[in-house]
Amino acid sequence: MSGPVSMSDTRTSTIPAGTSAGERRGRTRRAAGPARPKRIRSRQLATALLYLSPALLAIVFLRLAPAVSAVVASFQESGLTGGSGWAGLENYRFLFGDPGFVNTIVVTVLFNLVVNPATVVLSLGLALLLSQRLPAAGLWRALVFAPAAVPVAVSGVIWSVVYQPDGLANGLLTALGLPEQPFLTSAGQAPPSVMVTVLWVAVGYWMIFLIAGLQDIPRTYYEAAQIDGASAWQRFRYVTLPLLRRPLAFVLVANTVGNFLIFAPIQILTNGGPEGATNLIMYDIYQQAYRIGDVNLAQAEVVLLMLVMLVVVGVQFRLLGSKEGR
Amino acid sequence: MNVHEGTVRRPAATRRAGRLAVAGVAVIALAACGGGTEAGGGDGEDDGGTVTLQFIHPEVAGSFDPLIEAYEASHPGVRIEATNVPFDQLQSTLQSRLSQGDSSIDVYTVDPSRIPGIVAREQLLDISDLMDQAEEATIPSSLEPNVVDGKLWSLPIWTSEQYLYYNPTLLEQAGITPPSKDPAQRWTWEQVVEAARQAQAAGAEHGLLIEQINRYYQLQPLAESLGGGPGLSGDDLLTPDLTNDGWVRAMTWFRDIHESGVAPRGIAPDQMGPLFAAGKAAFYVGGPWVIPGWKAENAAFGIAPHPYFADGEPATPTDSWSWGISPHSEHVEEAKEFLEWAALTTEGSLATIEKIFIPPTNAEAFDEYMGRLDASVPGVTEGAGDLMLHELENTAVHRPPSLGYIQFEEMMVNVFEDIRNGSDPEERLSKAEEELESAFSRLR
Amino acid sequence: MNARAVAPRTAAAVLVSVLFLIPLWWVVASSFRPRNTAFAYTSPFGWEALIPVGGDVSNYSALFNGYFLRAVGNSLFVAAVTVVLGLALSVFAAFALSVLRFRGRELVFGLVVLSFLIPFDAIAIPMSGQFRDWGLSNSYLGLILPGLANGFAIFVLRQFFLGIPRELLEAARIDGLGWGRILVQVYLPLCRPALVGAGLMLFLSQWQAYVWPLLIGTDSEHHLAPIALANLRRQLEVDFGQIFAGSVVLTLVPGLLLLAFQRHFTESLAATGIKD
Repeated sequence: MSGPVSMSDTRTSTIPAGTSAGERRGRTRRAAGPARPKRIRSRQLATALLYLSPALLAIVFLRLAPAVSAVVASFQESGLTGGSGWAGLENYRFLFGDPGFVNTIVVTVLFNLVVNPATVVLSLGLALLLSQRLPAAGLWRALVFAPAAVPVAVSGVIWSVVYQPDGLANGLLTALGLPEQPFLTSAGQAPPSVMVTVLWVAVGYWMIFLIAGLQDIPRTYYEAAQIDGASAWQRFRYVTLPLLRRPLAFVLVANTVGNFLIFAPIQILTNGGPEGATNLIMYDIYQQAYRIGDVNLAQAEVVLLMLVMLVVVGVQFRLLGSKEGR
Repeated sequence: MNVHEGTVRRPAATRRAGRLAVAGVAVIALAACGGGTEAGGGDGEDDGGTVTLQFIHPEVAGSFDPLIEAYEASHPGVRIEATNVPFDQLQSTLQSRLSQGDSSIDVYTVDPSRIPGIVAREQLLDISDLMDQAEEATIPSSLEPNVVDGKLWSLPIWTSEQYLYYNPTLLEQAGITPPSKDPAQRWTWEQVVEAARQAQAAGAEHGLLIEQINRYYQLQPLAESLGGGPGLSGDDLLTPDLTNDGWVRAMTWFRDIHESGVAPRGIAPDQMGPLFAAGKAAFYVGGPWVIPGWKAENAAFGIAPHPYFADGEPATPTDSWSWGISPHSEHVEEAKEFLEWAALTTEGSLATIEKIFIPPTNAEAFDEYMGRLDASVPGVTEGAGDLMLHELENTAVHRPPSLGYIQFEEMMVNVFEDIRNGSDPEERLSKAEEELESAFSRLR
Repeated sequence: MNARAVAPRTAAAVLVSVLFLIPLWWVVASSFRPRNTAFAYTSPFGWEALIPVGGDVSNYSALFNGYFLRAVGNSLFVAAVTVVLGLALSVFAAFALSVLRFRGRELVFGLVVLSFLIPFDAIAIPMSGQFRDWGLSNSYLGLILPGLANGFAIFVLRQFFLGIPRELLEAARIDGLGWGRILVQVYLPLCRPALVGAGLMLFLSQWQAYVWPLLIGTDSEHHLAPIALANLRRQLEVDFGQIFAGSVVLTLVPGLLLLAFQRHFTESLAATGIKD
């Protein structure tokens, strides 16, 4: 193939995961600048089309098209009594007037506000600890990572028996001389209990990504900082954090997307209770669509959920991107 | 990852290399999948003119093998393909598949109280032409929930009743005389709780286990016994009525037995039976289906009538699965014939209970079942049949045939769980009324 | 790191690992306890809860009848085909979205991001009707197809590709390599961690499939492992021994894969020698 591509992009990074929207755009602009012959671009377009079409076909037919039909359905009458006409915004109006749904929104937002930062902080903490040269470091890493292999539904089953009144958790508490706890049967303890099950699976998984990121930070940076007399905290704050931003951004975004869609643990552990304290939106959607059979209402919830996720992920991209621009 | 390694070594022209790899793998993989695709869609007709009926049910796989074998033997040309869907997923799976017009379901199991809602969604076939026959062949009142707007939508296969089981060893340990089987000497809930407390004081881990602790089927009789009604009122049964005195008192009692530790929190319905069989509870309220399992485990148990509240009336849960036909079925005649055989003939009805110990609704099969019930555990189950008949005729309460029953039942699961876990009964019930008002507004 | 810090940090590492391990260990130990006897050792708690002395393998022998094994085999097959096809689709798409320059790239990438924000279970209802119309119910193909559209796998691979120095690309172009060869010979060897990560993601998405197989309606011949596990729970009777054993089997398969690939997974570009 002819046509050497001259690139002025010197900001190559060796950190594997995570990039920012801002940086992405910057690169594209530079690459597609006016100096480039049109011929090459159109040839790349043909190649790109060829490479993209299988994946795009799958995504369009198996994700986007059904999603569009979900959006359409959200503007139609509920089929509960046989109606099938247009309902305009009726489904949405109903949702916002329904105290149950308002509770669902509040619970989902609060849950995510706690669980996502917690995942990032814990994964980062464990990554920092377990990326050090400790005896048998690989073993500890593997053990923390092990729950990532547990299928979501199985983790729900495991924790439901752990939290059971005569289960492992209370058994251990009693053995340590502590009082037994209600866990899933108390509106106060149920949300943190569910979070623990979610964190158990997620933290080790994301930790691995962050360890990979940490290993890419050149040793020399730390050595230089040490020579300058930087404390451990300063090294973390001014060397590790900035250089780990892309993996961190990736973990935060990926994790947020996953946690907005949590369903199986709720179904297995709490059914959304007690008192609606764990009624996360995906569970509510499942209830409406599959158990009550009000598919149109469920689709309206799906549309709202997707909008919220778009905003949250967009903001996350932007926040992390603008920092990088500095 | 061998795909990529394989393509690395491929000497072919560069751009084509990748393309071929993808295409090649796809073809191989899809060909491999192709082996299983022939049994698609609703086309149940084979070359030989055999009709295959798809039957969906929530029982353990193989439960209906005797029924199917007997049916296929006497009906050449028809094959029954039974598919079990896990119980927790049954309603949701049927609901979404039927709403999509899935023609690969012919016959399916229906919870009779859901029939009005299912009929409104147009997911059951009108089988009124079987009405006379059904009235003749089934035990009294079992047909009732299957009739909506004067039309017959499904046939009852089984019915149910609940007993108060006790553990004789634990009661003896506490010096308590066990309750008798005589409905005239039926214990009150107050008596049960008192005895349960004493048994716990004497060493029993749990006082009272209620089988389906968060399901309306099991708990409706508590409120009914105190005159609280089904919780829905009005001509169309679409007005929530949960804050009346009967419901509040029943649910206060329900909260208290869990608050005081007589009944355990955090234990799911499917764990109750094994706990009682392991000798961990003094009393157990549940159906006759537990008997064969307990017998196999040599569990100690005795049988007494379902309790009632001292200042109320006896009321007991009833009904069980019905079977109906999907309106999207392409084999309506064959499906009807199968249904008729399973529900209305003695032979078919008995075949449905070969592996599951539950009372059939076919009148003659029911008599046979009563005999088997009485004989199941010598010295324990004699007279259980008569007791069941007495309850079916006198105390059984059907669930409300409301268009909104599906929403109601789903919502009540959470209400019962919350109250069990300590929510204030009156507050929770009035919140439930609000939620129901809102949910029912979708039906108008 | 000085020697003084090693001991407390190792202690912390051990403590954390044990905390993560305990629930899993307990399930494995309990899977050797027949029926529901496991709970006898948790309340009150005894060491036998974690070391199944006196247990047996009856749960496993009860499980390993034709049905459960076949379901596990089905899951393995469906997941394996999904990994192979899904990775192939995703790698090419990710390459196009990170290396190639063309008009509309941002838009396509936006669609990819959008696709993994769509909760699959929520759009599964209309889609299952479509699949039935296509005659895909009760077939392996019907189970595999939805797993192929994994926008997240594309996203992960693309992020990784972006991290590969463009100097390598330029050098390859100067050598006259075509795009296909650049992808296969330059990019893929450097992207093992991402390939493993994306592959595992594809695998797990199918290994956990539950709602979809129920929706498109599968007979017991085509049941996947999670459904076989759920079928162990009956309406009013539960045998936790078998559920524990089934959970162990369902965890073991991805667990072994993760163990086998952990090295690749953690391996970063620093190890490939192309840095600095």
